[in-house]
Amino acid sequence: MKLRAAIWVICLLVMGIVTVWQISAKHSRIDGDILALIGQESGPENAERFSDINIVRDLLARDARQAIVMVSHGNRNALEAASRDMAQEFRDIAGTNNVSLPGFETGDAQSLYGLYQKHANGLLSQKDRDSLMNSDGQRLFRRALQDLYSPSSMISAQSLGNDPFSLLPGFLSELGGKIGQSGLVQDDNRFATPIIITLSPDVRTNGQEAQWVKQINDVIATRSASDAALHIAKTGQVFFAVSEASHARSDVQRIAIIATIGVIMMVVGVFMSALPLVATLLTVGSGLLAGITALVVVFDSIHAIALVFGASLIGISIDYALHFLVLPKSVGAARARLAHIRPGLRLGLLTTVCGFVALAVTPTVLLAQISLYSISGLIAAYVTVVTILPVLPHRDVRDRSVIRTIYAHIDNALLKVRIPQKQRLAVLACAVIGLITTVYSLPANDDIAALGHGNTALIEDAREISETLGIGGNPQFIRIDGSLVQDRLETGEAVRTALTPIIRDGILGSLFGLSDVIPSIKRQQENRELVAKELEEPFGAKLRASLPVQTPTQHTESDFLEPDPDILGTIPALASLQHGETDIIRLGAVKDADAIRDAIADIGNARLINPRETITAQFAHYRNWATIALAASLIVAGILAIIRYGAYAGLNVLAAPLIAILIAVIGAFALGVTINFFAIMALFLVFAIGADYAIFTSESRHHGQQTEIRFAVFLSLISSILAFGLLATSSVPVVNTIGTIISIGLACAWILSYWMCSIPAQADTTDSR
Amino acid sequence: MIRLRTIAKQILVTFGIVILMTISALVSSVRADSAGISAPLSISDDAYLTGVFQLDRHLNGFDQPLVSTGNFTLSPKDGLLWENQEPFPDTTVMTDRGITRVLDDGSTEVIASGAQFHQFIALISAVLAGNWDALSAHFTLAEMPPETGETNASWHVKLVPLAGLPIADQIIEITAYGDQFVEHVTITKPSGDYDDITLGNQAKASLPLPGDIAALLSGQAQ
Repeated sequence: MKLRAAIWVICLLVMGIVTVWQISAKHSRIDGDILALIGQESGPENAERFSDINIVRDLLARDARQAIVMVSHGNRNALEAASRDMAQEFRDIAGTNNVSLPGFETGDAQSLYGLYQKHANGLLSQKDRDSLMNSDGQRLFRRALQDLYSPSSMISAQSLGNDPFSLLPGFLSELGGKIGQSGLVQDDNRFATPIIITLSPDVRTNGQEAQWVKQINDVIATRSASDAALHIAKTGQVFFAVSEASHARSDVQRIAIIATIGVIMMVVGVFMSALPLVATLLTVGSGLLAGITALVVVFDSIHAIALVFGASLIGISIDYALHFLVLPKSVGAARARLAHIRPGLRLGLLTTVCGFVALAVTPTVLLAQISLYSISGLIAAYVTVVTILPVLPHRDVRDRSVIRTIYAHIDNALLKVRIPQKQRLAVLACAVIGLITTVYSLPANDDIAALGHGNTALIEDAREISETLGIGGNPQFIRIDGSLVQDRLETGEAVRTALTPIIRDGILGSLFGLSDVIPSIKRQQENRELVAKELEEPFGAKLRASLPVQTPTQHTESDFLEPDPDILGTIPALASLQHGETDIIRLGAVKDADAIRDAIADIGNARLINPRETITAQFAHYRNWATIALAASLIVAGILAIIRYGAYAGLNVLAAPLIAILIAVIGAFALGVTINFFAIMALFLVFAIGADYAIFTSESRHHGQQTEIRFAVFLSLISSILAFGLLATSSVPVVNTIGTIISIGLACAWILSYWMCSIPAQADTTDSR
Repeated sequence: MIRLRTIAKQILVTFGIVILMTISALVSSVRADSAGISAPLSISDDAYLTGVFQLDRHLNGFDQPLVSTGNFTLSPKDGLLWENQEPFPDTTVMTDRGITRVLDDGSTEVIASGAQFHQFIALISAVLAGNWDALSAHFTLAEMPPETGETNASWHVKLVPLAGLPIADQIIEITAYGDQFVEHVTITKPSGDYDDITLGNQAKASLPLPGDIAALLSGQAQ
């Protein structure tokens, strides 16, 4: 037995080394981004066609590296001075990659102007295009003449060669209007400008977000204090993420401290010794270690959600340890005690593993990670119980401990309730019907916005920035699919035409796509024909008579402006507008998404995508698969129980977790808890732990240690409630959901293990009590 | 993304700044000594300047310049009115609200608008107040001896944009000379193109502006 324990200890050490090496060498990374893993299973529809969730994830990932600080002041000069100073201070913060001041810098203007000049006669503003289509070239000719002598004109020898009618300034001016607000706006005698900050990619991966945000906040606080007229607002995913993480961390830390102290007090109080505590920690620790090792070996990227739910197997594995530890020395030596509980442990492990296997076969990477973590961890915890715990010195439970005394009263009361076998079956049947009905009728809400705590100040800042500068906010977009880039550009132009009335009505603030920057060849060709027919032909000679130079009038096909990689690479902002065979049109200040959907309904290859809806749908997808896996787990657990205990007793074992799940769902819903993916995952824990309660209680009838085993289940319940139940006090909705469901579910499962499993159906003759 | 939003306006703003900086230099007149460099005549907010101009636009590769003549009115408080008379009438209004063109029928067409234009007037005012420090945020200033042929010139100033500023992408240098009033300004661009602006008949007067000019600068003209 010692040899097996030594071998297992060596295995655990190897696991530890492998895990540390994998993570420290960055072969595996832990990603806390809620978007990092979800939807990874949704591969491209073909080699170049990406799914909605993939595009959403990519766009949000780009946006996540950007933070916007809006500075406003009644005095423009003071605003510029403060903005420039703040920008420099932001640049000096570790983790800042780039800071720009669109209100006071030209950015890519020169390169873009140079890019356009060569293709100017194919680039028309809509206003000029309409003029030419209405055969009103006279106005444009007149304007071209005026521009030759205007003090503010942009003409040069080069521009006159490429754009003799000065059409490009109009195109550029309209482009600015299409894209949105200026970098410096004036509103009610106040000036406002954005400072755009780009974070280094490693800020998130290195966990430096909180520190970075703190330093940004310090700069803002100092500046605000130095000038009362200065108003500063900020927005960006990083601020929301840090705020949410701060709330969750604060809650979880508080709960973890209480839970840890509680569990330690419980174990020490029951055994009056620290040795059982060591045994318990060894069991739980080996489970956690094995789970993480399995993930880092199999996956390149591990999601934090998988780690959190995987770590919840603490509540299951602690059952295994307590199950062994409560057996008194009087039962026999370690080997004999182990022989008593091994069948129950095996069946409990098998039942739980079957449940998590059902989770693994769902087509979702996130659930597969949770499953692998849990299965590996539980097997490791089991192996620790059967190899290491028997070689540790044993300590009996102290009969006079407070917990034991309290337990005795509760146990006595619960044992007085006797439910005949037929009624048990009737209750089970009703529960099955009720559960099925609940699945179909209980309203679920997978909205990701409901998961977090929300930060009123940040939400208000985001609204203010969106209204003032027209940037930030929920990044809705229209996706355009097509194998040919020119088809997509033409579709983009059709989308703009369809949405122009909606923009005019204020339903949509702005839209910006690749076709705004680079019109389709068809559009450029039309423009050239219009220019040739309506300007060159009637006015070209007159214009040239005013100029002492010849200007070219013919353009070849190769002169068309096209979105080739070189151009997209020159202007990084354009790269995010193209994903393989999909182009993106980004929308700003959307007030009525349905109106937009209706307006583009006839444009076959264009669809409105709301990232919030897309991610919410993805979580709904996960919830559905988790529900199916949970149902499959219950069926498998029922079959295993029937095989082990026979039909009636087997169904009784199934009844405990099943009814507990039903009551947990209804109870949580009645308390206002949102039923979502995380709620279903909490039910998985109720199932796994509840099944253990029932199985251990039923097994105890075989080896005659019912009282001790019921006490072990009671201790397990306390530890689980301490570990999870306290989560119900969290202010973070998703944490609260998990805690509430587990609290209700486990309490019910524990009581039901008495009423449905512990007492022989007709005569309780063996129970010592 | 955000940078693209301002490209079109930024280009116009930069050109506008060039013109207004030029005009600012033009109105530098009476010699004054500040930090060792001749300083412009101070024009308070309750005064304005009028005069005539000739703009010779030299485009690289063109044998002859594009020549225009007309009148200008500059009010530190209200903005700049640039009225072409030859080769054809055309009026451009530059204020802190933007650049507007007055069309033949008297209606206006906004060429560019935005809060950025506030700095035009701020810079003009700085120059009129003899405050070279304000310009030093955008240019390196150097006083040069008047050259042969600069009749009546008693001073000559050269302004070179500071590296890294947007205006440096549009201008290589500005030179101006004059005596009581600025007589000539040359704006040299990176392409090799340059504008020669010659001013004359300049006079300073007190506000209010004449009604039609005030209406144009206030944006109330139709």
